Amino acid sequence: MSKHRQEIWENELAKCIKCGTCRSVCQVFQSVDDESYVARGKMRLVDAYLNNKINLTDGLAQRMSMCLMCKACTASCPSGVKTDRVFLEMRNYLAEEKGLSKVKRMAFTWLKYRNIFDFSLRFGAFFQGLVFKGLPDRNGRIPRFPIPVAGFNQRRIIPTLAKRPLRSMLPEVVKIDKPKMRVAFFTGCMMNYVYPESGLALVDVLRANDIEVVTPKKQQCCGTPIFTSGDFKTGRLLVKQNLTAFCDLDVDAIVAGCASGGVAWKHEFQTILEEDDEMLPVAKKLAEKSYDISEFLSKIELNNNFGRVEKTVTYHDPCHLNRGQGISKEPRDLIKAIPGIKFIEMSHADNCCGSGGSFNLSYYEVSRDINNKKVKSIGEVKPDIVLTGCSACRMHIEDGLFQSGLNIPVRHTIELLAESYRKQGVI
Amino acid sequence: MLDLKILRELEETLGRGRVKTDMESLISYSYDGTFQERLPDAVVKAHDVSEVSNIMKISGAYGVPVVPRGAGTGLSGGVVPLKGGIVLEMTAFNKIIEINMRNKYAIVEPGVYTNDFAEAVEKVGLFYPPDPASSKSSTLGGNVAECAGGPRGVKYGVTKDYVMGLELVLPDGEILNVGNMVDGETGWFDLPLLLTGSEGTLGIITKIIFRLIDNPEHKQTLLAKYDQVIDAGKTVSSIIKNGVIPTTLEIMDRTTIQAVENFLKIGLDTEKDAFLLLEVDGSKYEVAKQLEQVKQICLECGAVEVETASTKEESDRLWKARRSISGACGKINPTKIGEDATVPRSKIPEMIVRLREIAKKYQLKMVIFGHAGDGNLHPNILTDKRNSEEMERVEKAVSELFNAAVSLGGTLSGEHGIGYMKAPFLKMEMGETGYQTLKKVKEVFDPKGVLNPGKMFMDEEMF
Ligand SMILES: Cc1cc2nc3c(=O)[nH]c(=O)nc-3n(C[C@H](O)[C@H](O)[C@H](O)COP(=O)(O)OP(=O)(O)OC[C@H]3O[C@@H](n4cnc5c(N)ncnc54)[C@H](O)[C@@H]3O)c2cc1C
Ligand code: SF4
Ligand code: SF4
Repeated sequence: MSKHRQEIWENELAKCIKCGTCRSVCQVFQSVDDESYVARGKMRLVDAYLNNKINLTDGLAQRMSMCLMCKACTASCPSGVKTDRVFLEMRNYLAEEKGLSKVKRMAFTWLKYRNIFDFSLRFGAFFQGLVFKGLPDRNGRIPRFPIPVAGFNQRRIIPTLAKRPLRSMLPEVVKIDKPKMRVAFFTGCMMNYVYPESGLALVDVLRANDIEVVTPKKQQCCGTPIFTSGDFKTGRLLVKQNLTAFCDLDVDAIVAGCASGGVAWKHEFQTILEEDDEMLPVAKKLAEKSYDISEFLSKIELNNNFGRVEKTVTYHDPCHLNRGQGISKEPRDLIKAIPGIKFIEMSHADNCCGSGGSFNLSYYEVSRDINNKKVKSIGEVKPDIVLTGCSACRMHIEDGLFQSGLNIPVRHTIELLAESYRKQGVI
Repeated sequence: MLDLKILRELEETLGRGRVKTDMESLISYSYDGTFQERLPDAVVKAHDVSEVSNIMKISGAYGVPVVPRGAGTGLSGGVVPLKGGIVLEMTAFNKIIEINMRNKYAIVEPGVYTNDFAEAVEKVGLFYPPDPASSKSSTLGGNVAECAGGPRGVKYGVTKDYVMGLELVLPDGEILNVGNMVDGETGWFDLPLLLTGSEGTLGIITKIIFRLIDNPEHKQTLLAKYDQVIDAGKTVSSIIKNGVIPTTLEIMDRTTIQAVENFLKIGLDTEKDAFLLLEVDGSKYEVAKQLEQVKQICLECGAVEVETASTKEESDRLWKARRSISGACGKINPTKIGEDATVPRSKIPEMIVRLREIAKKYQLKMVIFGHAGDGNLHPNILTDKRNSEEMERVEKAVSELFNAAVSLGGTLSGEHGIGYMKAPFLKMEMGETGYQTLKKVKEVFDPKGVLNPGKMFMDEEMF
C-alpha cells in the first residue's frame, strides 16, 4: 500500500472522535438503519483493516460502495474528518486489490470506446430500439446497456437519448463579434448524450453576454463515475485526455455545465493524479480558472435584459455543487433575478437526491427510498418546474417524480435563463 | 463466540438473517463516543416488545449478556459490550405514539431521535426542554437511560424531570409498566425515577411517557466576556444567589473559545479568558427585567463586556458556537477525554482553579466548557491516544479531577452517566453503604447479571 494513502487514513482516523454526528445526515444510513453503513462505522472498518482485524472482505467492499459520495458527512463532521477522501482511497485500494465489480467494468470500458458510442447515438432512432426497451406509455426507456452515470437497472427509467450528442451539434468555436471574453465549455457526459438542450441553452446564455465559447471536441467524460468507484487507472487516463484537450486553449475560463464536472476540474483531477505526475501542475493551473456555470455568471457583469417568465420554481442543491464547490447562493440569485418567477424553497433542498453517480446503479432500492424524500419535498412546494445544476440529479429526480405520478419537469438552471433571454429577444 | 445453539434459537424467534455475526457488523457495534472498543458476539435489532421479551428470555436461559443500544453517542461507554454477548439495537422503536396537547404529555418509543421529538412537540405549541448537544443524533431511550441534560437544565431540569412513565422489559422477559400519564406520581417507590439513568443495567426501555410544558413566549441571549475565568465562575454563583434563573448558563474558557473560532470562523473574541452565554425566557416584561438584572451582576463580578443578541441570527450564531465545541476540540488533538464531573454552583470558581492546576501539573491541554448553571464544567483533556506516555498522565489527571469534584461536595457524573469509564470511581462517591445498596437494587432487577455487565459496578464475580 502506498505510504501516502496510509498517511491519509491514519490522520483522518485519528481525528474521528466517534461522536455519531454523521448519523444525523447520512441518507444511506437513515434508509438502512445500520451503523456499519454510516461514516463512523465505515471509518472503524478502515481502522480495523489497518490493524489487521479484518480482511478486504466482500462485506467491507459492500459498505464502501454503498455510499452516495454526497459529502454530507464530511460537511457536518465537527472534527473535520475528510471522510470522502478516506472512502475514495478505500474504493481505489479495493479495486486495485480485488478488481472492479462486473457491472461497473462493463460501463467503464465502454467509455473508452467513446467514438463508437457517439456514432451509435447519432443513429439514435435506430439504436434506441436496440439498446432501450420503451415503456408502454412511451414516457421513458429502460436501458439494456449501461451508459455512463445513467447506470443500468431494469427498473429505472431514463429519458429518451438525444438524437445527436451535443458536441456533434456545436462548432468547435461559437464566434462572437467583439467578444468580451472567451471561455472553454466542458459539457460532461449527461449534457452531451442525454440533455443537449441544456448545453445549447448554456451556450446561448454565454452568447447573450458577448462571450465566445470554445467546445473542444477531444474532451472526455470527467471520470468521476469511474474513479469514485475505485478505478483510478482509467480515471487518470480520462483526466489526462481532458487536461490535454484544454491546456493549450487561449481562454479566460473553463466553464462546467455539470456539478460533478466542476468538482472534478477544481479538485478531483488533482486528487487522483499521482504525486509525481507531470500533468499535476497543469491540473492545478487549470483548476484556478475552472467555474461552475452559475458561479461564472455571478462573477461577470450579467446582461440583465431578462424577459418575464411567470412560473413557480424550486431548486435542488446538487451535492457536488453545494458541498463539493460551496455554491448554493449563486444559482438562487440567478433564478430570483428573473422577473415573474416565484421562488419557493423546498424543505431539505440540500439533501442528496439519492443518485450518487453509480450508486443508483447498484443500489436502486435504497436510492429510490432516498429519492422519495426529495420527491415529497418537491410535492409540498407544487412548483411548475424544479431547477438544479446537475444533470444526474435531474435524471434521478425526473425518474422519481414520474414514478410517483407527479408531472413536474426538472430543468437545468441555465435553461430558465435562456428562456428568459429568448422571451426578450436577446437570443 | 456464542454457542451455535443460542444463535439458532435467536434466529428462530426473530427470523432468518436477523442475527448478525459478520465481522463488519460486530466491529460497527463495538463502540460509542468513548475510546474503548469491544466486539459483541451478535447484533440484533428488535422491532417490537415481544421480540425484546423473547431475546431476554433466551439471554436469561443461557446467561448471555445483552447491551441495549440507542444511537451509540454515549460518553461514558454505556453501549460498549465489555463482556461480549448481544448488542440489542433499539432504533426500530421509532414512533411518536401520541402527543396529547390537552393533558400535555407524549408517549414515544425509545428509538425516536431527540431533536425529531422536540420539533414535533414544538409544532403543536408545546415544549420538551432537555436538549443535549447531541440531540440530532441521540435517541430518547439513550437520553432516559443516561438521564441526559443540556444547557436548559438550570431552569428546566434534566431528562428525569420529564419522565412520567416507562414500559420496560425485564431481564427475565417480563414486561413492566411504571408511572402514568396523569402526573407520573406514584404512591409506591418512584420506579420511573429509579429507572431513569439506569444505563441499560436494569431493563430494556420500550416506551416512554414524557411530561410536556408550555412554550415560553420570549427568549433573549446574552454574552458576557471576561479577562479572568474566575470572575465568570463568580458570576454564576452570584446569579443563582440573587434568585435569577436563566434558561441556560454556559461557560467557555479561553482554549475553548480559540478552538471554536478556529473551527467556525464566526468572529469570536479570542483574546478573552472566558465567556458566559446566558439565555432568559418568559413574558416580554419578565425577559426585559431579568436581562437587566443579569447584566448588572455580570458587570459587578468583573465582566469586561456584555453583549445582548438583538436578532435571531445573532443568537443562533452564539448557540452554534456552543454546540460546535465538542467537534472543534477534535481539531486540536485527536483524542478527547471528556468528563462531566459536577460541583455545587457556589464551588465553581474553586473548581476552575483546581482544574487549571491539574492540567498544569500533568502538562495537559484542557478545555473547560459546559453547563455552569448546573455546576457541570465539562473539563475535557485533549490528547492523542497513540501517545501512551501522555495517556498515563491523562489517567492520573482524571483521577485527581474526580477527587477534586467529590471533595468539593460534587458528583462524578452530571449527565453522561457512569458506564465503564467512571465505574472505578463509583465507590469513592457513594461510599461503601451506598455502593452496596445500588448493587442490591441491581440484584433485584437482574439477579443473573445479564444486562449490560461491566457497567457501573466493577465487581468481577457477578457484574
Ligand atoms: C457530541 C456529543 C455531545 C453530547 N452532549 C451531551 C449533552 O449535552 N448532555 C448529555 O447529557 N449528554 C451528551 N452527550 C452524551 C450522549 O449523547 C447522551 O448520553 C445520550 O443520552 C445517549 O443517547 P444514545 O441514543 O446515543 O444512547 P447510547 O449511547 O446508545 O446508549 C447510552 C446508554 O443507554 C442505554 N440504552 C440505550 N437505549 C436503551 C433502551 N431502549 N433501554 C435501556 N437502555 C438503553 C445503553 O445501554 C447505554 O448504557 C453528548 C454526546 C456527544 C457525542
Ligand atoms: S461526524 Fe466525524 S468525528 Fe463524528 S463520528 Fe462521524 S466522522 Fe467521526
Ligand atoms: S458520503 Fe453521503 S452517503 Fe456516503 S457516508 Fe457520507 S453522508 Fe453517507
